[in-house]
Amino acid sequence: MANYFNTLSLREKLNQLGVCDFMESSEFLDGVNALKGKKLVIVGCGAQGLNQGLNLRDSGLDVSYALRKEAIEGKRDSWKNATENNFKVGTYEELIPSADVVINLTPDKQHTAVVNAIMPLMKEGATLSYSHGFNIVEEGMQVRKDLTVIMVAPKCPGSEVRAEYVRGFGVPTLIAVHPENDPQGKGLAQAKAYCVGTGGHKAGVLRSSFVAEVKSDLMGEQTILCGLLQTGSILSFDKMIEKGIEAGYASKLVQYGVEVITEALKQGGITAMMDRLSNPAKIKAFEISEELKTIMRPLFQKHQDDIMSGEFSKTMMEDWANGDKNLLKWRAETGETAFEKTPAGDVKIGEQEYFDNYTLMVAFVRAGVELAFETMVDAGIKPESAYYESLHETPLIANTIARKKLFEMNRVISDTAEYGCYLFDQACKPLLSDFMKKVDSDLVGKNFNEGKDGSVDNRKLIEVNDAIRNHPVEKIGSELRKAMTAMKAIKTV
Amino acid sequence: MKSPVVNIQNFTLKFQHSTVLDELCWHINAGENWLLSGKSGSGKTVLAKAIAQLIPDYGAITTTIGLRSAIHYVANWYQFKDLEGQSNFYYQQRYNKQSVETTNTVGAELRYFGKKHQLDFDEVIPILTALNVNDLLSATLIQLSSGEHKKLQLLKALWLRPKLLILDLPYNGLDSASRKNLNHLLDGVATSGTQLILIANDTEIPSCINRFAKIEHGKIVESDEMQPRKFELLEVDRPLPEFLTVNNWPEPVGHLIKMIDVKVSYGDKIVLEDINWEVKPGEKWALQGPNGSGKSTLLSLICADHPQAFANNFYLFGNKRGSGESIWEIKERIGLISPELHWYFDPSATVWQSIVSGFYDSAGLFCEPGYTKSRQADELIDYFGLMPYKNTLVSQLPLGTQRLALLGRTIIKNPELLILDEPCQGLDTQQIIHFNKLVDELCKNGTTLIYVGHYESQLPTCIEKRIVLENGRIKALENILEMAVQD
Repeated sequence: MANYFNTLSLREKLNQLGVCDFMESSEFLDGVNALKGKKLVIVGCGAQGLNQGLNLRDSGLDVSYALRKEAIEGKRDSWKNATENNFKVGTYEELIPSADVVINLTPDKQHTAVVNAIMPLMKEGATLSYSHGFNIVEEGMQVRKDLTVIMVAPKCPGSEVRAEYVRGFGVPTLIAVHPENDPQGKGLAQAKAYCVGTGGHKAGVLRSSFVAEVKSDLMGEQTILCGLLQTGSILSFDKMIEKGIEAGYASKLVQYGVEVITEALKQGGITAMMDRLSNPAKIKAFEISEELKTIMRPLFQKHQDDIMSGEFSKTMMEDWANGDKNLLKWRAETGETAFEKTPAGDVKIGEQEYFDNYTLMVAFVRAGVELAFETMVDAGIKPESAYYESLHETPLIANTIARKKLFEMNRVISDTAEYGCYLFDQACKPLLSDFMKKVDSDLVGKNFNEGKDGSVDNRKLIEVNDAIRNHPVEKIGSELRKAMTAMKAIKTV
Repeated sequence: MKSPVVNIQNFTLKFQHSTVLDELCWHINAGENWLLSGKSGSGKTVLAKAIAQLIPDYGAITTTIGLRSAIHYVANWYQFKDLEGQSNFYYQQRYNKQSVETTNTVGAELRYFGKKHQLDFDEVIPILTALNVNDLLSATLIQLSSGEHKKLQLLKALWLRPKLLILDLPYNGLDSASRKNLNHLLDGVATSGTQLILIANDTEIPSCINRFAKIEHGKIVESDEMQPRKFELLEVDRPLPEFLTVNNWPEPVGHLIKMIDVKVSYGDKIVLEDINWEVKPGEKWALQGPNGSGKSTLLSLICADHPQAFANNFYLFGNKRGSGESIWEIKERIGLISPELHWYFDPSATVWQSIVSGFYDSAGLFCEPGYTKSRQADELIDYFGLMPYKNTLVSQLPLGTQRLALLGRTIIKNPELLILDEPCQGLDTQQIIHFNKLVDELCKNGTTLIYVGHYESQLPTCIEKRIVLENGRIKALENILEMAVQD
């Protein structure tokens, strides 16, 4: 199988990268009708599989689960999830032939095997749905020409998909139809009905393409979402230890700080996050984040280039073939860092203290979000797609760090994201070593405002505020956030 | 003279622009066990929290109890976190099997609590037995009903035996046998040296209570005996807002609810079994049974919140459940309030937003309601006397006022089926009378009612039938009106 993106002409590459339409709510007035009475069969019953299935069934659709024989016979977790919630469960052979829509919600790495197993069983003219385009775009999976191929990707963890639905809301969702597989022209109508079934239409739906989704998703997760949060957390912790800050305090500040800081991001973008700082701290954070952007820009560009050319997926798939040798080695190394091994101390850290004593992370987040966004847009990805894959997802990933540190983050994200995260982290740390030498504990560990009189130069402050507020990620962000302001905070502290 | 155990001098506290406590003075002497009452919003909870040093008292309160930990406050609210520290649950979550494994068991939670406070685990066993919750030790926190959460909170406090124990509405959600058991246990700790401040508007109280006070106009008014409960009748009997007296429900079918051999179980644990029950349009039912008997699970099936509905044979509004209807089509026809809905409600919504969200069956408001609905919400807010709090966050209001706002949310769409699961928890006497009258009034127009209440005396007068559960089975199905005629 050849990389699909690389088979396209430049014109078609740009064309598919540029599919991006934030849909009006009037486009969903037909409800779930396009799927009503159809047989929906979900393959896989993990967090996404189960929670999407619960929502679709509660919306009046006919949902059952196809699992591998071994999972059923071994009564594995996926089997338990499905049967204990009273879904019909069967093997591929039992359920796929009568399915109108097969929804593949297995991990990326299994896609080729799963799709090869189910495709011969699918009936003429049925639909195959993905929630991530890696298999189609990077692995170049060729799907039978009579089948329709769509993508519906809720931009939240499975548990949130369910929680927001039962509240009467939903989570932002990205949908796409694969241009090579839409023989009856029904793909978009079905994807929209699917969104209504999971509640996504209430929180904003972005029409994208398989190509745009993959190229932006990979970029976001490797750089700002997982890579930089990992690098920033480890460097911050080590710096505090070096400066004699108590280890329990340092561990807690890093573990929960990124969540508290990025919660502001979710509510009101970079502007709201920076506004939580005092004026002098804001100016300082701005200055060092500008410096960080200059240092890290070539690395962000390299990641984007490797993603576009297929170099990244090629090396990763070589590692898959090699039994995940590199992935497992790097995962083990992450488990051994001092931050990971130091439990969070039993100290109380107030909400504002996370900002005042962790200005460095605010600078990391601003630099990372803006750089990822800028790099994606420069590469031909539209601002809406770039927003979802950078700023929007940062608080969600931060939440996984708050739960159980970096190991948890790497466990929850896909193996693809994890692999890219380690690549970034290994390249980024040496790049920042000179920068980190200059960092003192007023930026991380102690209150930045301590011993300062708080005065600033008016013109400087106005200039900084302008630069923050007028960045393109803020412009598009304030538009998109209008659709999802009602989402509940996911908070650990 | 010995100085009082707690001495409060000129304590003033403001909430927004109104004065809640106004130079309040109160002495609590050794040997005294107080009952503190007062209308909803009179300041009982803030006063209690200040005594327990949970909120600032600005130097107005001094105490001879040395250690902070020797004063223990049992809140009228409960909270818990899952094993990863998250507390953003939604109330349907307890019915999903896979969510169950992410929170601690009651046993583990108690062991942790005991270790933290250096308590002997053997001492908690008799309390567990007395409150009849031994078999909950292996249950996880998310599986507990609101009454069971209340018991867990109380048994921790009793185990701790602080010098001063402040209980804020401890009877909320407890069945009548549990209320008696609690009183007995409180008498026990009082004998062994714990002083009590009991915040309640109840008449069945422990016999150790020897002082009585209530908060009126921000001050403590003391008395030597319990004042006879005054039924302050409302000055004006206001007519129901007109939009609640008209309905355009679909033509009634033979039955609104019909359950045939309904069963719900989690693994080996059976929660409901052999449930055969039919509710016809316009009937008014009381649903009763002790804590943990399966009442909320039964209601969750009707409200389309329980996944096991799909494995059962039952009909809602004439349609077989699981025949292609969406849960929103069902919820549209039901007005629901329950302790769980209240505990898990969106704290970032204002009173107005919460009430309007009733039109959409959402927890929080996600869309622009338009002119008619906005005006109806205003009318209802006015009817409930909530105008001053219209734009206040629900979570900042006293419990009784929060409850009123959610009751407004329940009835605003004038639903054909009203499910009121302990609707009056946290309300004061006057509010309860007001609300039950409203229920009677609403139901005149053919509304079907299912009402859960642990206080026999607080049921609306329109109730005509009763279903009683025990250990997940129907213990009795009775026609109250017929029984009254036979008597």
